[in-house]
Amino acid sequence: MKLLVPVKRVVDYNVKVRVKADGTGVETANVKMSMNPFDEIAVEEAVRLKEKGVATEIVAVSCGPTACQEQIRTALAMGADRGILVEHDGVLEPLAVAKLLKALVAKENPELVILGKQAIDDDMNATGQMLAALLGWAQGTFASKVEKDGDKLKVTREVDGGLETVSLKLPAIVTTDLRLNEPRYASLPNIMKARKKPIENVKPADLGVDVTPRLTVLKVEEPAKRQAGKKVGSVQELVDKLRNEAKVI
Amino acid sequence: MSNGAWALPEELKMLRDTARRFMQNDVKPAEDRAPHDACELPVADLAPLQKKARDLGLWCYRTPTEYGGAGLDLLGQAVIAEEASKCRMGAYIPACGAFGADPPNAIWLGNRDQIERFGIPAVERGQKVFVAISEPSGGADPARGIRTRAEHRGGRYVLNGSKMWISGAGSADWGLLFARTGAQGERGGITCFIIDGNPKGLTKRRIGVIRAWSPYELHLEDVEVPVENRLGEEGQGFQLCEKWLVEGRVPYAAACVGIAQAALELAMDWARQREAFGSKLADKQAIQWMIADSEMELRAARLLVWQAAWTAALGGDLKTDASVAKVVATETAGRVVDRCVQIFGGLGVAQEMPLERWYREMRIKRIGEGPSEVHRMVLARTLLGGKGRR
Repeated sequence: MKLLVPVKRVVDYNVKVRVKADGTGVETANVKMSMNPFDEIAVEEAVRLKEKGVATEIVAVSCGPTACQEQIRTALAMGADRGILVEHDGVLEPLAVAKLLKALVAKENPELVILGKQAIDDDMNATGQMLAALLGWAQGTFASKVEKDGDKLKVTREVDGGLETVSLKLPAIVTTDLRLNEPRYASLPNIMKARKKPIENVKPADLGVDVTPRLTVLKVEEPAKRQAGKKVGSVQELVDKLRNEAKVI
Repeated sequence: MSNGAWALPEELKMLRDTARRFMQNDVKPAEDRAPHDACELPVADLAPLQKKARDLGLWCYRTPTEYGGAGLDLLGQAVIAEEASKCRMGAYIPACGAFGADPPNAIWLGNRDQIERFGIPAVERGQKVFVAISEPSGGADPARGIRTRAEHRGGRYVLNGSKMWISGAGSADWGLLFARTGAQGERGGITCFIIDGNPKGLTKRRIGVIRAWSPYELHLEDVEVPVENRLGEEGQGFQLCEKWLVEGRVPYAAACVGIAQAALELAMDWARQREAFGSKLADKQAIQWMIADSEMELRAARLLVWQAAWTAALGGDLKTDASVAKVVATETAGRVVDRCVQIFGGLGVAQEMPLERWYREMRIKRIGEGPSEVHRMVLARTLLGGKGRR
């Protein structure tokens, strides 16, 4: 089974994100960039499926500027076999990425696309679902467990109030949740091996995809400063404050 | 011609990421359970960390791959040493021992039998090894200072004398000891011996010092060393230890940069939170300048460390560059940690913060591995002798 694993370049999760002074977005100049942590979980799951003999080849894909090669290289050092960079310097919205991935699916014929449930930069939580819709494939989102079950894929999903298990017909899309696995660190021998693995470079136009943005960002701003907490003396006082100050009950 | 652009090799950046995450997610939680001045982790904590480090290819990263290490070049050693020092015991016990302890590289200049009996087992089993150069008569000038004598008698050498400030000697499996076989004061009269275990006539005394990890004083009274445990030829001792000393200064300097960087990050976090006189410390110019000065000096020190590594890779004069890096990095780290203590106030000197320990241990870094003054002397002599110009 061939796997396609899309990985996104995002601001590192350790970096305190700052809004640009003009409110058009977040500051990414001179900021450490890394692979989206949910995508790391996707790469790890793909590598585990390969180690179990379920997967035969893992292709890591990233859409974005040339620097996305770094994230592809990280995926290769974790165990992916080869990479594809869809090079584009401008904004890429989830729909555009889903269309690019659809075109790559047509080219590569994977049986499973496994990707993070969302990226930690814009938290859109959309690409996986859009790709499933465009392809008309089954989808198992927010996966906390993935098992091969005959010619199907059994996916345990984290839903409100518990776990749901779905059986997917292949080919399928899986999006990963936090508890699916703990991604490995790239080891020195694998980092050296990754140097020799190929990364193919394509442009959106080569795939026949129009990536023109359809959304307009009006304004990006910092969340409101959190107010200091208050101690209450009694349940009565608490109920009173919830009702009259916070106005939540 | 290149366009002048340079960066760390991509693979090294990835390995640095791996080391950084390993330190943060694996080593630090284990160390947090250990006492403030701990110099080792309990076996139950250390063994899984060492296993993971071996799998990651970070085991004995200064040792060539043919002997079981990761075989990083000096630049790689500098980059990883900077990360490995970022823990409370990191000034002297990098990564809390998770990456093993590289045996002194002089052992790889020995014969095959010595490499197999001592070098390779040290890497495989994570053995501890000491290097004994300094003596009560001094450490900075061993050519003149070494008085410990080795007499060749039959199939063995008989050693008599004392060694001082020997790190790791207490629990070492073996060590390299430098003794005089030639005339007093003669640079070529020093020979290196492998001291296997605790031979008869060797006594060790712990010397309490400002750092948590105590060095030892060794007394040798008719200690017998078989001829096959002489490393190299008679009189080659200086040559053998020089490679170890000079190359070792690069990761030594990098580790100081790592500690200071970790201290600065703690101080910046604190400055953003702490309020006094109606505003955050981060908003006060006195604190901002301390942080800015620390950052500028650290950047300079790091680049000098990397430059020494590049010089070595290009086959240049590592000795001078390593001295420059060693002095600047250790002195910078001392100043930066001192400022960070100041930013923290009382907490800076409390044994609830790593700063207290780093502050004490950074002080030794200006003395160990050749005091600043000796390195300055060597640099000045090189410059005044007409060498060392770029």
